[in-house]
Amino acid sequence: MKEQNSIPASKVARSAKFVGTGFKIGGNYIKHYSKKIFNPDLTRDELNEDNAADIYDSLSQLKGSALKVAQMLSMDKNILPKAYVDKFSLSQYNAPPLSGPLIVQTFRKNFGKTPDKIFDQFDLKSTNAASIGQVHKAELNGEKLAVKIQYPGVGDSISSDLKLVKPFAFRLLGMSEKELDIYMKEVEERLIEETDYELEVENSLKISKACADLPNIVFPKYYKELSGPRIITMSWLEGMHLKEFLQTNPTQELRNKIGQALWDFYNFQQHELRAVHADPHPGNFLITPDGKLGIIDFGCIKELPDDFYYPFFSTTSTDLLANKEETIKAFRALEMILPKDNEQQIEFYYQNYKEMITLFAEPYMSGEFDFSKDEFFNALYGFGEQISKMPEFKQARGVKHFIYVNRTNFGLYNILHELKAKVKTDTYRPHIKTKF
Amino acid sequence: MATKQKIQNAYIDYILTEGNKPISVFAFAKKNKFAEEEFYQYFGSFEAIEAGVWADFFSTTIKEIQNQEVWTTYSVREKALSFFYTFFELLKKQRSFVTYSMSHLKKGLHTPVALKEAKEIFEEFSVQLIQEGLESNEINDRKFISDRYKDALWMQVAFLLNFWIKDRSKGFEKTDEAIEKGVNVTFDLFQRTPIDNLLDYGKFLAQNAGFKMPF
Repeated sequence: MKEQNSIPASKVARSAKFVGTGFKIGGNYIKHYSKKIFNPDLTRDELNEDNAADIYDSLSQLKGSALKVAQMLSMDKNILPKAYVDKFSLSQYNAPPLSGPLIVQTFRKNFGKTPDKIFDQFDLKSTNAASIGQVHKAELNGEKLAVKIQYPGVGDSISSDLKLVKPFAFRLLGMSEKELDIYMKEVEERLIEETDYELEVENSLKISKACADLPNIVFPKYYKELSGPRIITMSWLEGMHLKEFLQTNPTQELRNKIGQALWDFYNFQQHELRAVHADPHPGNFLITPDGKLGIIDFGCIKELPDDFYYPFFSTTSTDLLANKEETIKAFRALEMILPKDNEQQIEFYYQNYKEMITLFAEPYMSGEFDFSKDEFFNALYGFGEQISKMPEFKQARGVKHFIYVNRTNFGLYNILHELKAKVKTDTYRPHIKTKF
Repeated sequence: MATKQKIQNAYIDYILTEGNKPISVFAFAKKNKFAEEEFYQYFGSFEAIEAGVWADFFSTTIKEIQNQEVWTTYSVREKALSFFYTFFELLKKQRSFVTYSMSHLKKGLHTPVALKEAKEIFEEFSVQLIQEGLESNEINDRKFISDRYKDALWMQVAFLLNFWIKDRSKGFEKTDEAIEKGVNVTFDLFQRTPIDNLLDYGKFLAQNAGFKMPF
């Protein structure tokens, strides 16, 4: 991969980058319509693909938070046309690397030594880019290691980066300003957490220990003494990313096994640990050669407080949903129904949220669920679409915890759908309360 | 018997604790218990000591980076980056002196006396780099302008020094960013850019197409 020649320097330069993208997209439209004169059958697919490529190019040069937004956008397939999604998915494990001397410098700052003095071998060319850093291969005492290095100053540029992305995301998603604000704030909080590599090592150690008994899941070993505020050292996991894995045409049995591991991993965390790895994008997982699921990134952990956990997950049970009065109480606790709502509004939101949650909770309802079913996802997206057009939902509702939890669970569903996995869903069940 | 190093250290110690130069070489020598003439064996004046310290910063940095194993594998751009990172890492140990010395530099068009020797060392280094870059085609040869590349690198030094003095970020992370971005931009400009191609094209048209500007 070609090394990145320049990182746009200041906010001005970063803005210029986005302006540049705007021009290019304009250009793509001109290209599209001039081609269309000669070939009226031309669909918008090519145009979308051109646009997505340019958007991706410009986002990946910005690195950091902007790239993260690209990643988040690519999670939700119903929002973006397919071509955008394919390009954005690239950003999940492909971005140009940073200079060698800066890596040496980061090591010197963290450990007072250059990498070649710490490791027996250290590859200055990075193998992968994580969105706020990059991964290098190293070797120590015969063990292969993955060393994740964070780009300096990422933490500081988060807020200004997000402000830049905002108008762009605004147009792309067509969200209301308020909704977008909550969304952006969520990204900001998560990103700031993610830049704390010491916290990440703590989380990784804690969660990999707690999940050690789950079947078919492997974690890398973390080396605390070789990690610091900007560097994480862990053992190297061999494996393929989801997309590569799917290209090998795995058997249904293997898909199910991976899917089950993923399901268990997430639901064990949500319902037993009450803290969940909240970034289920495909770049964070590897499928190892012996058919296990490797989990390689603990950047963001979302804790689920009881006052959110019980009202929300209890609504996934028919026991509660059968009782309208208690359900409304739960919705109130989640701020899906607000104190100033009138009778009519209460009924309206009750009906719609009930429908939404029933849909969402479908996998939990029976002991087994087949995620390959398009009908389920179409119903889910269809309902999402329908809701997004209702003026009543223009205003953002629900406590802030939703954003994390929805992302996690929809991300999980999406990956399981891509895997076309059939999963036993009663392995780790939600804990339910029926009175509020 | 005073050595060069001892005099240098005693001088730095003096200016950093007193905030000023000693009144005279005589007073300075007396305070540190050596004969005045020993001072002149090594330095002509107090300024010369400061200039020596600065020169040492540069030559130490250059020696250190050239001894690193990765040095030979670096591109010219990376070599320059490596210089700046190492340089500021070294300066960190003497930040008080640097701050003092920088604040006493005479501002003007000419290179301050304290930095003259250092500049020569750095220029020698940058001329080598640029030569290497020109040979490997990493840097574009431009008439008249190529000779000024080394000045651009020196300006980078001056800019980053000032930036670093004002940097209040943890571990001077902002300076790292400034280096990465600044040096990259400088080398991007050294490379062949669309402007070069444009000029080249213009020249071609003027010579071959009988192309005349209509105004």
